[in-house]
Amino acid sequence: MLLAAGTGSRTGHRTNKVFLPLAGRRVFVWTLDATAADPAIGPVVLVVRADEVEAARAVLAREAPRRDVRVVVGGASRHASEWAAVQELLPSIEQGEVDVVLIHDAARPLSGPGLFRDVAAAARQHGGAVPGRRQPGLLHRDGLAVRAGEAVGVQTPQGFTARELVAAYRAAADAGFEGSDTAASIERFAPQVRICNVPGSSTNIKITYAEDLFLAEALLARSSFDVRRLGPGAAGGS
Amino acid sequence: MEEPEYADLTCTACGRTAEHELRHVGRLLATTTCTACGHVVEVVPRSMLTGYLHDLEHRVTSKPVRMARRARRDPLRFVRELPGALLRQPGKLLDELGTLIRGR
Ligand SMILES: [Zn+2]
Repeated sequence: MLLAAGTGSRTGHRTNKVFLPLAGRRVFVWTLDATAADPAIGPVVLVVRADEVEAARAVLAREAPRRDVRVVVGGASRHASEWAAVQELLPSIEQGEVDVVLIHDAARPLSGPGLFRDVAAAARQHGGAVPGRRQPGLLHRDGLAVRAGEAVGVQTPQGFTARELVAAYRAAADAGFEGSDTAASIERFAPQVRICNVPGSSTNIKITYAEDLFLAEALLARSSFDVRRLGPGAAGGS
Repeated sequence: MEEPEYADLTCTACGRTAEHELRHVGRLLATTTCTACGHVVEVVPRSMLTGYLHDLEHRVTSKPVRMARRARRDPLRFVRELPGALLRQPGKLLDELGTLIRGR
């Protein structure tokens, strides 16, 4: 599942950053691309805000016409958006067609296909897998809470065995619990699941800062990259 | 330049997550401006030009490689001698190249 609903304001003329053009395509189409190299990955569920469904479908028709992507409306929180995507996948999970669910930020266009494969393999083997920039190895359960989040280099895609994920989300719904991310719900409601830390990628940035757009564009276009920062108002003339 | 786009990004100067104005030249990002503090990030012109010519290579269907090679060797001469017949929107392309080269 690709999460695009989470960030950004609903107001005004602002573009959700995953819809920004980057080296000729929209950010989330690059993200989608990383899932294409492995035919074992699919179906893909793209989670967007209700007011972006039509725009998302239009972009997909134009830039990724051959990909089978289900567009679903996300919720008010990341947890709710993930749950919406899980529900979309539920029939496939129950029929055993989907054994592992990969959860990925659509604003990470540079994860590359290798990381998807690594995370899926580790999740299949251990139950859960989270990429990070630490040394590979199993995380201690009580260390997870501290390690969840961008500050300690935790990345996506994160992978979990599908049945355990569904069970954890159902338990979370019953308990009225909204975790900050998937790992939080798994940690609380599926404590038997071991979450393996796989090595992340140094270029797997989440588009957050303005500079990230330049870096991502340069890496995706494989061109040279050099930015300079100017003081306030310096953009003026050009 | 084309119409700017606006997106919420975090500013490295003021630290706020604020609306940023994004300007593109052709398909490439040229500048971002934080609307909260005015902080500007831009691509250094030289590399931008290289990137733009690379981009152009994909946009112009006829003789793209040869054209782009010539352009890289001598950008200014390339612009002066730009073969108009090859370009569907010669005015637009010249305008974009002009933006990149002029006054930088
Ligand atoms: Zn700022």
